Amino acid sequence: MAVPERWVDYLAALGCPTGGLAAGRPRVLTQGTEVLVAPGNELVYALDTRDLQPRVFGLPEPVRHLELLAPGRTLFVLCAGSGIYCVALDTPHRSASQAEDVGGQGDSDVKMGQHPSQCRNQAEEGHSEVDEDPCETQEGHVESGGSPSEVVSVGPDACILPDPSLCAFTLLGDLLVTVSQGPGTWKVRLFKHLCPGPGTEPGAQVGEVVVPAEPPRAPNFLPVLSCVSPPCSRDPHSCLPGPGGSTLQEALFGLLFGADAALVESPVVLCGFPDGQLCSVVLKTLVTSQTAPGDPKALVKVLHHLEEPIIFIGALRTEPQAQEGGDTPADCLVALGHHGRTLAITAGRDETETLVPEMQVYRLPGPVLCATCNRGSLVYYSTPSRLHVVNLAPGDSAHPGLPPLLCQNSLRVCKIVALSSPRDPEDSTKLLALSAGGRLMTCHVALDPARMTARQATSKIQNLLSNISSVSERVLSLKKAVEQQNQALTHLHEALDVSCALLSCQSSPKPIMCTTRPSWRAQGLHQELVATCRLENQGPCSLGPGWSWCIQVLPSSYDGATTYTVPIQQLAPGACCEVTLTLCSGEEEEGGIPDLPVTVSHMLFYSLQEVVGVLLAPVGTEEDTLGVVWPQDLLPPQDGACLPLGLHTVDLLQALRFPSLATPCLPPTNPIDTFLANYQEQGSRPGGQAALQAPYLPPSTVSIRVSSELLRAALGDMGTGGSLCCATLQWLLTEHSPVDVGKSGAPSSVQAVAPDGTSIRLTAQEASRAPSPDLAQRAVPRPGLCVWPMLAGAILAVSFLSPPTGASTPMSFVTPLMHPPSAAPTPSLALPTTSLELRVAWSRRQHPLVSAGSLGSPCPTCCPRGPEVSVEVEKPGTPLSLRAEMGVRLTGPGPWACTVMMVALAGVGDRPGLREPHPSCGDPGGEPLPRHRVPGPPCHDHPHPDSHHGAGDAGRQPAQPASTMPTPDPGQPRGPALGGPGLAGQAIVGELS
Amino acid sequence: MAAEDPRPGAVASVAPPGPAPALAALSPSPVDSSPPPASYLDPWWRKNDDLVRRMKVTQDSGLLLRQQLSAQDALRGFRELLHILQALPAAVSALPLELTVTCNFITLKANQTQGFTEDQGQDIQLGLERVLEAQEQQGPRLKCGIRELWKTVLQATSLLPELLPALHHLAGLQAALWLSTGCLEDLSLLLQMLNGSQNVASEDLLLLLKSWSPPSKELDAPLTLQDACGLRDVLLTASALRQGLQELITENFPRALSSLQEAASGFCSRAVLAQVYTALGSCLRKMGNPQRALLYLVEALQVASVWGPPLLEASRLYRELGDTTAELESLELLAKGLSVAQSSKTPQVLIEVELLLPPPDPASPLYCGTQSHAKHLLASRCLQTGRAEDAAEHYLDMLALLLDGPEPKFSPPAGPPGSCVPELFLETAAALIQANRAQDALTVCEELLRRTSFLLPKMPWMWDDTRNGAKELMNYPLWVSAVYFLQGQAWVKLGASKEAVSDFSRCLELLFRAPPENKDEGIASNCESRCRPDVAVQHLRLAALVSRGLEWVTSGQDTKALQDFLFSVQMCPGHRDASIHLLQTLQRLGRSHEATALWWRLEAQRKLPPEAATGSLPLYLETCLSWIRPPNQESLLEEIRTSLQEPSDLELPGFP
Repeated sequence: MAVPERWVDYLAALGCPTGGLAAGRPRVLTQGTEVLVAPGNELVYALDTRDLQPRVFGLPEPVRHLELLAPGRTLFVLCAGSGIYCVALDTPHRSASQAEDVGGQGDSDVKMGQHPSQCRNQAEEGHSEVDEDPCETQEGHVESGGSPSEVVSVGPDACILPDPSLCAFTLLGDLLVTVSQGPGTWKVRLFKHLCPGPGTEPGAQVGEVVVPAEPPRAPNFLPVLSCVSPPCSRDPHSCLPGPGGSTLQEALFGLLFGADAALVESPVVLCGFPDGQLCSVVLKTLVTSQTAPGDPKALVKVLHHLEEPIIFIGALRTEPQAQEGGDTPADCLVALGHHGRTLAITAGRDETETLVPEMQVYRLPGPVLCATCNRGSLVYYSTPSRLHVVNLAPGDSAHPGLPPLLCQNSLRVCKIVALSSPRDPEDSTKLLALSAGGRLMTCHVALDPARMTARQATSKIQNLLSNISSVSERVLSLKKAVEQQNQALTHLHEALDVSCALLSCQSSPKPIMCTTRPSWRAQGLHQELVATCRLENQGPCSLGPGWSWCIQVLPSSYDGATTYTVPIQQLAPGACCEVTLTLCSGEEEEGGIPDLPVTVSHMLFYSLQEVVGVLLAPVGTEEDTLGVVWPQDLLPPQDGACLPLGLHTVDLLQALRFPSLATPCLPPTNPIDTFLANYQEQGSRPGGQAALQAPYLPPSTVSIRVSSELLRAALGDMGTGGSLCCATLQWLLTEHSPVDVGKSGAPSSVQAVAPDGTSIRLTAQEASRAPSPDLAQRAVPRPGLCVWPMLAGAILAVSFLSPPTGASTPMSFVTPLMHPPSAAPTPSLALPTTSLELRVAWSRRQHPLVSAGSLGSPCPTCCPRGPEVSVEVEKPGTPLSLRAEMGVRLTGPGPWACTVMMVALAGVGDRPGLREPHPSCGDPGGEPLPRHRVPGPPCHDHPHPDSHHGAGDAGRQPAQPASTMPTPDPGQPRGPALGGPGLAGQAIVGELS
Repeated sequence: MAAEDPRPGAVASVAPPGPAPALAALSPSPVDSSPPPASYLDPWWRKNDDLVRRMKVTQDSGLLLRQQLSAQDALRGFRELLHILQALPAAVSALPLELTVTCNFITLKANQTQGFTEDQGQDIQLGLERVLEAQEQQGPRLKCGIRELWKTVLQATSLLPELLPALHHLAGLQAALWLSTGCLEDLSLLLQMLNGSQNVASEDLLLLLKSWSPPSKELDAPLTLQDACGLRDVLLTASALRQGLQELITENFPRALSSLQEAASGFCSRAVLAQVYTALGSCLRKMGNPQRALLYLVEALQVASVWGPPLLEASRLYRELGDTTAELESLELLAKGLSVAQSSKTPQVLIEVELLLPPPDPASPLYCGTQSHAKHLLASRCLQTGRAEDAAEHYLDMLALLLDGPEPKFSPPAGPPGSCVPELFLETAAALIQANRAQDALTVCEELLRRTSFLLPKMPWMWDDTRNGAKELMNYPLWVSAVYFLQGQAWVKLGASKEAVSDFSRCLELLFRAPPENKDEGIASNCESRCRPDVAVQHLRLAALVSRGLEWVTSGQDTKALQDFLFSVQMCPGHRDASIHLLQTLQRLGRSHEATALWWRLEAQRKLPPEAATGSLPLYLETCLSWIRPPNQESLLEEIRTSLQEPSDLELPGFP
């Protein structure tokens, strides 16, 4: 088929059709030079192609259909849910100009419309970008200078047929055929003698027939009507069909509609319903009355069932037109369905030469929005992407009849929502179209009449072949791109799953867990403290490429953290991976003494760059596979998602070494040091550094007194076997192998060596009994909170629930609150603020349950007299610090286990100054200070609840005690909570020995 | 407003009658003629009353279009109101208003759509469910149908007298719905429930309706478009008329008479009264009381301007009485009356009797065709009664009616689908020939040929060729050959013997393409009104053969004539006319032996009982067959008998 050449002229920009690309709502109608457009809203535009000045009519309801009755230039408009209105096309023009300007029609014309030249210019610009539909206008506005005041509003007086159920109509002379929708039925009615004008009676109903409807498959579609007539013999001009109708060849007509219709030469109304039925009603037989109701079986004939909403019905002439150019009747009936199913009916003859209807159903690519046909054999139809044309002319003379296959040609105009072809024969190459953006345009379509030569055909075939190959290449690359996209999407989906799993479960065990186990490892000549980190995937998702495991080692003294990144290639569910890192900070590589406590935090990082970046990367010289230009900064290279997995603090306790064990701890780094050390030891006893410091710094002792019952309860199984003291020590040193501790010999006391070589003794001994056991029994069963009146020596009872996965029995313990014997019976005991606050910090971040702001535990230095207790409550692995203070509440997270640790650290030989000073006291951290120091100014601003280093907060705070009083070790992993305030404030310290 | 809690109403429902909760509890005298005290329902109450009043006012104004528009507006208003009310939790105090709005909505909707549909049934059901919901009886309603729903509701609300008027109104609408859709069993059950246990035994719908007395509305109740009592009266008339018509069709005339008289005495409009009188006339005619029937028909014509059915009935009556002139006069009047375009009906706001009656089927006395039907009836009666001139005129009128303009003028007669316009053309041509207007007949025939010849199969056609669309095609050869036959007859009238013979031959050629033996196709067995096509073909062949034979006789070619006559007798052995033509020719050719044998056969045939009719032939064919009837057959037969008398005593003594 020859490709029609085309070009497009924009006529006007009208209001945007409402409903976008919904099929069958907007209408375009042309009659001579008059063009009528209903974009689907309440407005109707009438314009003349010669001057292009639209007149706008505003109707009360959205317009569904238009028909123009030529003789009186009367416009019939169907409004949704209202009825049919009748507008005289000439009078409103006058009235509009009257309203605006009495001066005359010409003046108002200039004001109303866009100047033609202006419009032409626009049209020129638009030529190159037909597909873009560049001018999108707002809804309901005449862009071309029309202001709302120029809208001639059509009132209810103009309604000639009020009926809310009307959904389609057509005109035939002075007959009006309407279709209205009832429950399960379509009602076709016929009116005559419609005379528009105010105050007239509605036309007399002549006939009515009810067509059973099938369940609505597409409620948004409207029925379409079309009139066909047989060729009229006696007076060819008297029975021409209306503007929407056509003349049908008599054989086809008689065949389709029967001898009656052919004999009385009756026009036939074809109804295409949204349920797919294509029915015909012979108009002259549709005279029914109350006393003679019509029989649908006799009046309605179902020609075909298209199984999809019918969009268009038209008549075509498939045979070439006769030479004289007369108006030969159509010989083919076409119906288009919304999804592209197309029915064509012609009259054929079978083998016995009997006239039979020849029906052919084609499938065209849909969805069809609108369609039209001109006098020839072409059907134009619009899909959202293109305007297409199909030719129904017989393929060759050897095979008369309908072509077995239809191939459509694309006209490269898109988003056309309404089409109309002028009826004048000389205009048959013009199409009037309305785009979804509200632009009215003329498409010139003409079939190339010249025959192709062989050479032309060859080159055309070559072109086609090369087109095919380029298309196939493009298809390949597109396919590849789609595969990559799919893969990336899968990865992203998995990543999302993992993230959700990790972020959603607060209390239950996380699907991906990290554990850190510190240990000493021989590294060349010396030993170093290393942490063995283990990443376990216990969730259902596997971690694939794009994920990496970041381990950040943050020594307490060193600002710069060391981050290790371990890319995870594949970590299936159930699998685990393990890395071993040194905990010594970079500066102390040689010394090998880690700066305790060291915080090891684990994160999972998901790199978007790695997964999505492939798609965004430019594909070399090829054009982008997806045809999309990505902005350069769409994805910063470092972008990704970071999921904290947890953190672990390696503290002094974990880094202890036991000299009683076989392994010699910390061999001297070089022989000279060893020698010197030996020499010092021998020379002066107590010699060495410790001996030097001894006169000034007697061995520090920190003790905490805890109820033994509580301890027993807390230790559980561990405490039942042997002595409580031994069990306590064992528990404290759980992270060391039990062999180590067990071999230490002294059940209630363990001698150990700190990483820096100072010796530490941990002693547990039974001191005294808890004052009143009955108070202990009054432990509140409700987990978490309780308030007790605080008295000297009173007991704070807290009951906690163990986590759901842990021991199922709630653990209760009683913390004795003690005042130092030395402290005077302070009036603070009688202070009105007598309650207790339990402050809980989950590792680095504050637990949400910790009530922020009310935690102003006074700095021990600042408020030395405040009775304060600082205890560490710990579930192994999740350190909590419990700070008790007179007059505060207890808060705590939900289900958690809690134990009380009692530890006494005795250290000789401190290296003070490594602590940072209390911010408000301004203590310089570097120098040792006298033991009993006058308290500094009060400070209330810490611990800061928002600090992202919760445990560190609690840990940093005691920095000051370290300065006021030399604490055993700079590290004090849990020292901050433990020794810090307690020692410095002197409030809790039970004994100093 | 809608946010207000309707619960106070529910509390108030415990207190005896008193629409407003707070004040009813305060004032000791609950019955008060003052306007209903303020309640949260008031705005909606007022809106309902406004809508009803406005509808009643516009009903009286003259303009039809304005009435339609305002009816649409009111319908919209009622729908909105109903949506608002149904969005509230169901409460007994609000239910009278809600049910009243439902009733008004259904009434107006039924009038606009000119009948009851499923929608109205659903509206009623929703109303009933709301009643149950208000009483917190929601359990069983989900699974039960509308009948059980009514039962539950009526049992449940027997203790709530304030709901009863609205419920009875709703029940009336349900009854109207069931009456119009023909669910009479449901209807009588509902009426029994409404009547309580008094008339349980009675199954008679009319009795049940009569004994149903809807409770009277209170003065301050919300306004309704139509109250329950009025609805009851309409129902009574409609069901009586419906029952009467039914009995009339089943030919149970005495019961039909009593039902119709019941309907006539009931409450109805003039148009309906005219229908009732027409039905009464028809009933009395069938009972053999023509004079009383005539009285009723005259009454019907006087009551209202509905002329169609009474005039048609009158023509039937005169036909039975044998008064052809009066019959044709009434048919002429009928045709004239139907030519007046019926103006559209004024939209009603009330449920009327017409709304509840099914559209008349052709067997009903209320069915009267369109103008073209009347014309055709008139013309064909003229043709049948021998008034050929009038018949021709009427037929031509009718054809002009059919062919002029695009307006609908003709509606196919009820019955099996199929074409009938060709037969009208054929009848016209036959009437014209009968009226000696052969030239006009030729014109009509040419027109018919021109418009249908392309449909004629070119090859021999098969009876069993009943593929899609071919069913109707079967008739084309018959019609076309009949056209040729009629053309031949016209040429005979014009004296053009040559043309006549050629046309008869073309007719026969076309007819003999069909093998006539496939009679048992069953194609036409379902349409008793029309004869089977093969029978028609056979008779047409006979007529064509005899006519051609007669033409041969006229031109003196007796041998050819004899051949045709012989053929015709072979084809229809018992056909008397053909036999007599054969007899005549045999006699004329002097073949007396054969003539005598034929005569004996005819005599024997005469003594036999007449053959069972194979169905009436089309009118044009009847007319055609009447043309080949020999004019003086009795004298001919007598002549043969006398000529045979003398030898018969001698030669055939033993012949019975």
